[in-house]
Amino acid sequence: MPEPLIRVADLHYTYDPHSAAPIHALRGIDLTVQYSEYLVMIGHNGSGKSTLAKCLNGLLWPTQGDVWVQGHNTYDPRALLGIRGAVGMVFQNPDNQFVATVVEEEVAFGPENLGLPRDELRQRVEQALADTGLGAYRERNPRTLSAGQKARLNIASILAMRPECLVLDESTAMLDPVSRRDILALLYGLHGSGLAIVAITHFMDEVAAADRVVVLEQGRIALEGTPREVFSQVEHLDRLGLTLPPVAAIARGLRGRGAALPETILTQEELVQAVRRHSRRRSSGELGR
Amino acid sequence: MVHYEALRHVTIGQYIPTGSAIHRLDPRTKLVAFSLLVLAVILATTYSNNILLLLLVLVLVQLARLPMRYILSAVTPALPIIIALALLQLLFYGSGSPDRPGASQLLLAWGPLRISTAGLRMVVVSLLRFLDLLFLTSLLTNTTTTSALTYGTESLLRPLSAIGLPGHEIALVGAIALRFVPILGEQLEAIMLSQASRGVSLEGRGRLRFIANTRRLANLIVPLFVDAYRRSEEMVLAMQARCYRGGKGRTHLVELVLVCADYAAMGLVAVILVGVIVIQYTSLP
Amino acid sequence: MNEVLISVQGLRHTYLPGTPLATPALTGADLVVCRGEIAALIGPSGAGKSTLVHFLNGLLRPTEGGRVMIMGQDTGMPECDVSALRRRVGLVFQYPHQQLFERYVGDDVAYGPRQLGLARDEVRERVRWALRAVGLDLDAFVDRFTFSLSGGEMRRVALAGVLAMRPEILVLDEATTGLDPRGRREVHGVLRRLRAEWGMTLLIVSNDMDEVADLADRATVLHQGCTALAGSTHEVFSQREALRSLGLTCPAPTEIVYALRQQGLPIVSEAITVAEAEEAIWSIMKP
Repeated sequence: MPEPLIRVADLHYTYDPHSAAPIHALRGIDLTVQYSEYLVMIGHNGSGKSTLAKCLNGLLWPTQGDVWVQGHNTYDPRALLGIRGAVGMVFQNPDNQFVATVVEEEVAFGPENLGLPRDELRQRVEQALADTGLGAYRERNPRTLSAGQKARLNIASILAMRPECLVLDESTAMLDPVSRRDILALLYGLHGSGLAIVAITHFMDEVAAADRVVVLEQGRIALEGTPREVFSQVEHLDRLGLTLPPVAAIARGLRGRGAALPETILTQEELVQAVRRHSRRRSSGELGR
Repeated sequence: MVHYEALRHVTIGQYIPTGSAIHRLDPRTKLVAFSLLVLAVILATTYSNNILLLLLVLVLVQLARLPMRYILSAVTPALPIIIALALLQLLFYGSGSPDRPGASQLLLAWGPLRISTAGLRMVVVSLLRFLDLLFLTSLLTNTTTTSALTYGTESLLRPLSAIGLPGHEIALVGAIALRFVPILGEQLEAIMLSQASRGVSLEGRGRLRFIANTRRLANLIVPLFVDAYRRSEEMVLAMQARCYRGGKGRTHLVELVLVCADYAAMGLVAVILVGVIVIQYTSLP
Repeated sequence: MNEVLISVQGLRHTYLPGTPLATPALTGADLVVCRGEIAALIGPSGAGKSTLVHFLNGLLRPTEGGRVMIMGQDTGMPECDVSALRRRVGLVFQYPHQQLFERYVGDDVAYGPRQLGLARDEVRERVRWALRAVGLDLDAFVDRFTFSLSGGEMRRVALAGVLAMRPEILVLDEATTGLDPRGRREVHGVLRRLRAEWGMTLLIVSNDMDEVADLADRATVLHQGCTALAGSTHEVFSQREALRSLGLTCPAPTEIVYALRQQGLPIVSEAITVAEAEEAIWSIMKP
């Protein structure tokens, strides 16, 4: 088993531990994130997803338990710089992340903090702008960009730090459907070039292309597995109050009526193919009912 | 009808790219020039000084190709107060100013009202100074991007880091604050709209009444403050996530280089300052 | 056909008129909402949806062209009673923390009724009703600090604050964007109950086509400040090409059925919800 990129062991996190009403956001999480893995974390608001995300790069320190990034413990202050360089994080609201008023300076902010020489800065900025398709906007004010472009800019600013892993804390929640689709396409592309992605979301339809899904409920991992494995646990999902995305829900309904469809259908293409096969078999008389 | 959306477009701090020579100057030049010219405005108390300064500043505004109406629109909300104060000063100032004893003559007296030349000069000079400062601030903030201002301020403060002054942090705080002005303006607009929807009246004559009504002000400021606080929390996390540790060890993408135009500009401003001082002390009116 | 409560015709509006930043926000928008229906206003970002919505309770008045009639009142006329309009048309905004300002939940929800000058018992009754309508218990929440609530709770309190004014029309400007699916389902339940039990008419502004398909009867599509499409949700969502050219998607079930039809399968119906798609597909699959 190769050394994981991130390892979380028995992680607990409590907000306001000494007050009268402490909030136990995380209650014993064990998790690993491998290099180049696409992990999606699903859960309702209040399930602890954001808290867990912030523990992954040392923005929050565990109340109990440990988090290791590339073998370094996040508790170690000397390792923090390296950890945050390796695990980059993008938050939900783009406006609250912008530091500069010019796009290329925004992208340069991270590498500047690392004290890199000027040509290296320039090179990283160019690369990050190219990877996110923002080259033409380099001199614009971030505030004049569309919502989707702002989200891209946030991602570019982190890419410039050349991380191993990108954590996105509900970065698509405020986007309109078209921009959301664009960002997801960008993420799949980045994943394709070897970046590990941890996407925290409440949109079930973002789960289908992931390598692994983790479902959080009240600070604990309730379900874990590949998207197919998780989607097949329908009763459990119901109990957790999670709905299947439309494709899977339709497939499930059809199976419930007696249609002979494969056990889990994740994407529209799979459903289309399955229904076509079914109707071809029916018309060729194979289904003798 | 209240144009709520005006709140999110405050002229202070708004960069207006017109490509003029002044836009191209190094931000440090502009910061130094701004400080020296403000000093000149403070020192100028005579009519001639102030009129000359205002003319010079107007020439600079023209050079920068900034739209005059846009700059002046920043003061229209405060205009009633300014006029009221000016009138009060004019009518009630009284007879003398300590630095020029005996130079004031009474022009008009009627009961408690007294209009004297000293009072008149004070009002006119104050208005001229006010305009000067307004245009100078515009010249600085409308021709320089916030990041240029940050770099400039940080660069100027860098020598002071030897005595422990955190130059980059200060400059960054200022830049982020300026950057959030329109965002908080948007927030305020949304807060006002939602309160108006629930029956708070902010219209018609209500404008002055609204300013007087502190309860309503608290209702606006509290959610705005909470919102600003939340945003700053997220901002801190985002900056930490990008390894911000203050100014120490930071490098810069953009390099600031002083060229001839910068030296010329600074020289010109120095000459203006000296000229103001000379005029001031040769007792021209 | 039910009584028309909202009728907007040819509405025009410019943002920051007379300044160098002036932009046209509305260039001829039309909208019709009838009593008792759940109507939806959809369109890409920047289409002018929020601007249009601000005309519905008198925050903006038509000054550049077009007519806005709300429950028989022409908001362009100076005699229009704007405060009465705001009582009858409740507007809920996207971010709850922009709408709450009192220290205690009870005070915040009571704000509207108190502004109306109601007696204390009546105010209390309204607060209780409003909190119950959004699923919060009066005694548990009335003394909570507004700013210490969770996001979902704040949203409900914001909605309760508007409901306490007992509006006849409720307008929700992207009030579910950013909510998790469970929270969204709960809000939908509240909205359906408001229509069924209290006869409220609703207008939702939303980016989420699936939400609109589930909830609304009629939809109006706004594009660059003017109305591009209008009709029942089935009519509007069946115009896939038109929607795509406006930069909008169809609800996922509609896309699925379309893809199946492209593959040659004889699906006739225009499904817009999961249930309808399931029904339509089953009808060609069953033995």
